[in-house]
Amino acid sequence: MEAWIEFGKGPLFRLAFVIMLLGLIRALFLVLVGMVEAYHRAGDRVLPWADLHKKTLMWMFPVKRIFNRRPVYSIVSFIWHIGLILVPIFYSAHVLLLMNQSLGVTWWPVLAQDVAHILTWITVAGGVLLFLMRYIPAMSRRLSKFMDGFWVVLITAVFVTGAICAQTAVSAYGYQVSMLIHIYGANLILVLLPFSKTAHSVLFPLGQYAGAIGWKFPKGAGAKVRTTIGKEVNHV
Amino acid sequence: MISFTEETRQKAFSTQRKPETVESQGLPHVRFHVEEAHLIPAGERPKKFLEAFAAILKHTNYRFMLDQYSRVSAKCARCSANCQIYETTHAPEDVPCFRSEMLLSIYRRHFTVGGAVKGRLTGDVGLTEEKIDELADSVYNCTACRRCTLECPMGIDHGLITHLARWILAEIGIAPRALVVSTREQLVGATGNTSAIPLPALQDTIEFLEEEIADYKGVEIKVPMDVEGAEYMFIAPVSDWMMEAETLMGCICALHAGGVSWTVGTQYYDAINYGLFYSDHHLEQVLHKVEAEVKRLGVKKILIGECGHASRSAKFFYNVFAEQLNIPVINILEVTHDLLKQGKLKFDTEIIKEKVTYHDPCNIARPGWVIEQPREIIKAFIKNYEEMTPSGRDNLCCGGGGGTVSIDELRPYRTLITGRRKAEQIEKTGAEIVIAPCANCKKQVRELLEDNEVPVELVGLHDLIYKAIILSDDGIAWHDPMGDDDWTPPDA
Repeated sequence: MEAWIEFGKGPLFRLAFVIMLLGLIRALFLVLVGMVEAYHRAGDRVLPWADLHKKTLMWMFPVKRIFNRRPVYSIVSFIWHIGLILVPIFYSAHVLLLMNQSLGVTWWPVLAQDVAHILTWITVAGGVLLFLMRYIPAMSRRLSKFMDGFWVVLITAVFVTGAICAQTAVSAYGYQVSMLIHIYGANLILVLLPFSKTAHSVLFPLGQYAGAIGWKFPKGAGAKVRTTIGKEVNHV
Repeated sequence: MISFTEETRQKAFSTQRKPETVESQGLPHVRFHVEEAHLIPAGERPKKFLEAFAAILKHTNYRFMLDQYSRVSAKCARCSANCQIYETTHAPEDVPCFRSEMLLSIYRRHFTVGGAVKGRLTGDVGLTEEKIDELADSVYNCTACRRCTLECPMGIDHGLITHLARWILAEIGIAPRALVVSTREQLVGATGNTSAIPLPALQDTIEFLEEEIADYKGVEIKVPMDVEGAEYMFIAPVSDWMMEAETLMGCICALHAGGVSWTVGTQYYDAINYGLFYSDHHLEQVLHKVEAEVKRLGVKKILIGECGHASRSAKFFYNVFAEQLNIPVINILEVTHDLLKQGKLKFDTEIIKEKVTYHDPCNIARPGWVIEQPREIIKAFIKNYEEMTPSGRDNLCCGGGGGTVSIDELRPYRTLITGRRKAEQIEKTGAEIVIAPCANCKKQVRELLEDNEVPVELVGLHDLIYKAIILSDDGIAWHDPMGDDDWTPPDA
């Protein structure tokens, strides 16, 4: 089991990390290039930039709007994201792992142990609540696909096993099993990150701009569409 | 207000289409009448849909938007709490992100590598006739009011997705007959407008309005026609000339009082643009007609009458499609507001005694464009004003947005489902008059109030301006045409 853990922490982690990094860069690049192309093709490039910046910031720190609609779900979701972002990136053991991977990282800020532990359990509790709130109401259940539930379960499992590993009282066997699930689960998260809705981790700031530029139509597109599909251009 | 029961729900979702006709002609199973769907036989629609979708992706700006949205849609359903349709039906199918997912899943399956691979591995057959029918019904259940967008943390504009889906469907003949027939008359018909009003009829109407104004307001006003080089080309939804005389008389009086340089064009006089609701191609073609008239008259600005979608389609798309760019597009409420601020409008503040409320048309309020101006106008001469909650940018749709108001076979759905919350909202204000400065909202709200048994009168803002504005030197707003000394002005 030890060898599997080392493999997961070493080569597999490096591979997963590179897949995540390249995948997210690709997703970001495709959307950004699409946006720039669309902007330059648009017949009218007037955009309410200040309003768009404001909306983007507002949703990054949604203190104002969070209570407006589905407040319980929204607050749980927001708090859940805090631990979800901070613990993987700033927990001391993770930082150590990152520095040991020859990725050229020599300094990285670190969360205090107690803070990391509290955030971990908040994230676990948030995951359970989010799962229940997604699958108990008929409306949310109908909206959800397999991956929506899978993500919450996977993330919660990785946080729970991570928390177990951080306990000194855990047995050697318990530690190894937990670490195995933790590491392989985390690697799976990294690999899947760019290929599902979790790509919002990098695409989120573009949301407001995408909608606004999306309404900027290129001139003459309708006629070209008609010609391409073999319809008379002036047919109404 | 009538209560919402299972019977109401069944009535709202009933269809006037005969099942035997739908089956025998192989038409799509949707609740509205379609115009040309029979041209593509059942069975071929998925292929044609995907061809149209591919062509649109190739020539337009939609692909990056779909890439973005299909990667970030978390389906958290916050939008459901902002959708008045869902709030009435509580059906998961009416959650905006559920509706958007219908098109996003087609995009992922047929236009992304990952989707194609996943489809092969899972045996997903892809797009079917049934999915097209579901999509078509769903996107015309939506009023495209875009209120849901305000509450989406990911910034997903469900209105834009609905807009795109409608265009793809239109290219395979699935578009409401009511919209198609009107647009056909506007673009290639003899009269060149959606209501098929010939020029002589327009001229007669204008003469009639001039006489009315002379009789009741005590001043002779000549509506300027074909004045080259005027500041503004005034263009109203053409149906207003036949059905909303008081709105137009209010506009005429305000423009006259302000000494504005304006004109009505006789070669093109319809602000309606149903292209906004079902086809970017027609949206552009209609705006080319506006542009031709702008060029012919050499006017400096386009002035749109009381109409939300007409204002938005011109404001946000004229300078996209026109050759002669940078022509400002102004809504009449903006001009009237400016005139008020300049002190050029005088009102009798005793004329309108009733309690009044104001409905924000989505197309001018949602972008934050026309919100405060009408309120300042109202407060200038109406003492008893009650604000709706919510209002402004966060307003509730009248329930007839997205062109659905023109689809008469959807009236029970519009008034009992989509507009229900608006009816409740109006009733809650306790107002006797509701102002809706939009031709579509007016039709919808009238039907809404009637079908829900809410006894409130519906008017345009310029209807009330017409009643209260003082034009004559004697300082009297409202004259008796018969010269009777005991005469008192009628209630608004």
